[in-house]
Amino acid sequence: MPADPARTLIYLPGLAGDPGSSPALAGLEDGGWTVVRPSLPGFDGESGFRCPSDHLGWLTALWDAVDATGAGPCPVIGASVGGMLAADLAVFRPEMVTRLALLAPFGIFDEAHPGLDPYSVPTPARLEPLFAGGVPEAFGRRFAEKGEEAPVSRYLSDIAAASLIWPVGDRGLADRIHRIRCPRLVLWGAEDKIIPVGTAGRWGDHTVIDGAGHLLEWDRPDQVGSALREFLTP
Amino acid sequence: MKVLWFHLMPYPELPEDFRAKHRSVWVDLDSGLLDPAIVADSYETYLDQLVHAEECGFDGLCVNEHHGNGYGLMPSPNLMASILANRTSRAGVVVLGNSVALYNPPTRVAEEMAMLDLLSRGRLVSGFPVGTAMDTAYAYGQNPGTLRAKYYEAIELILKAWTTPEPFAFNGRFTKQRWVNIWPRPMQQPHPPVWIPGGGSVETWDLCADNDFVYAALSYYGHLVGKEAMDGFWATVEQAGKDDNPYRAGFLQFVGVADTDAEAYRLYREPAEYFFQRCLHFYPGFVDPPGYSSEASVRRKLKSAVRSAAMKTQASGGPSWDEMLERGYVVIGSPDTVREKLIDIARTLHVGHLMTLLHFGNMGDELARHNTELFGRKVLPGLQQLWPDHTDHWWPANAG
Repeated sequence: MPADPARTLIYLPGLAGDPGSSPALAGLEDGGWTVVRPSLPGFDGESGFRCPSDHLGWLTALWDAVDATGAGPCPVIGASVGGMLAADLAVFRPEMVTRLALLAPFGIFDEAHPGLDPYSVPTPARLEPLFAGGVPEAFGRRFAEKGEEAPVSRYLSDIAAASLIWPVGDRGLADRIHRIRCPRLVLWGAEDKIIPVGTAGRWGDHTVIDGAGHLLEWDRPDQVGSALREFLTP
Repeated sequence: MKVLWFHLMPYPELPEDFRAKHRSVWVDLDSGLLDPAIVADSYETYLDQLVHAEECGFDGLCVNEHHGNGYGLMPSPNLMASILANRTSRAGVVVLGNSVALYNPPTRVAEEMAMLDLLSRGRLVSGFPVGTAMDTAYAYGQNPGTLRAKYYEAIELILKAWTTPEPFAFNGRFTKQRWVNIWPRPMQQPHPPVWIPGGGSVETWDLCADNDFVYAALSYYGHLVGKEAMDGFWATVEQAGKDDNPYRAGFLQFVGVADTDAEAYRLYREPAEYFFQRCLHFYPGFVDPPGYSSEASVRRKLKSAVRSAAMKTQASGGPSWDEMLERGYVVIGSPDTVREKLIDIARTLHVGHLMTLLHFGNMGDELARHNTELFGRKVLPGLQQLWPDHTDHWWPANAG
């Protein structure tokens, strides 16, 4: 059965990609939402990834990926690096975004709250600081289906995520978020080590989720899922 | 064979408990450890040592670029090279090199290298490394995912700036300049020899083979690890249909010479341990950011057992002195022992340029000069006779 356009949303995942629906997203799907995941270059771990030159190159890739899904106008949820992209989607293509939910987005870097550079963590332990409550099993299995190629795929996927925020996760969003006209929800983990919660105020009104780290929809799926459901169903 | 004297210019007084109390010699090194007076004295001593190496008969003098570290105190090797250009008259001035992706526009590198070539009256070798991840991605904030593409583009621009007689426009992916027209131009025409320092990445072999650049293998882990890199390079040269002139390649080697093998064992232990246990004390989080290695190189690294063993030893406290010797990280001994060993390495790796590190770690000036003099008198002549049937097309004509 074709997806109901009125119950379709776009989800853009964060650092470490999208290893399958988080319980928070799964809850939305159980509630009748269709979650569309645009395929951004590199995040699929496929061979031959060529990194875009700059942020405009990434935004162009995002437009292409979103358009390829056929989804929209619809709500957009973006987490971490996906939050940064979602915010720019709302800035530059406002007709596509009816409601915008941002979960600890990159895009504004506050020197007073620099946080932990996730790429200064040795590779084997790089996922740990993204979560407050341990690395979810789904992330431990990232690209396991690729067998011996799994380390290469993980590496390529990490290139994509890292290049979106290198060397610091600021892409000038502070100068353009005033152009976001749709309703906006900003959620932030109280224990976010990557973008400390002190940065959240730069995005305006926001809600802090206790006990959650950077990828808060994995750490606190009930609270995040509930906040998203409420926001998406005005 | 051309034999070069390479100075890393390390900070010589990292404390004995450095490894235990500090996580890295690079990127986030505690500035409280640095005494500017020690650096000033070291610069003077190190430059004198390089000048002394020319007097001892070495063919070339090497300097290189690193940032934010106590391992090598040359953020700008060009400053050092300009002094050497002025204080020496015969040796090649080998800058290995400028990390060209760090400069915007890279035209600046073309200009400074041209100046150095003129200051040295045509004795410059121009090295273009990608630069370590610590230098480029962390200390200089370059995106590792685009670093290599930026690096290739910078080399293209520099070569074009050196060789295009008319002003031209450059519309690169990373650098755009409407007017490129450098003054001055290099003395060597069409341009100074280009060497590419490399650590074993597949793309660097291709770059050197395709463009007839010298591949200068800068491994600190001896000829066993080096052999993997050199074998890969020579296979690439063959595939490219080029000749196997050994002067296409260079190799770096730590060396300690003494009157006897036993004396060498005693003399060089402390500076070697200082280098491998303090100067190479890298925090693993700063070594391999996503994108710094290409897809092909990641695949190769996963398969390299030799490299993997060296990295594990380094991460777990550094090699012991006996391990350094057994694995060939450091070649020591009497002049006869060293000469024989280095000839064997040069033949095995098929290299025409040997870059020697005769000062390393916290070696005192007296020992560095002793090492250099003994090497110059008793080892160097035998090495320089290697490869008599080949011509070095990658050496400045004005360098002796």
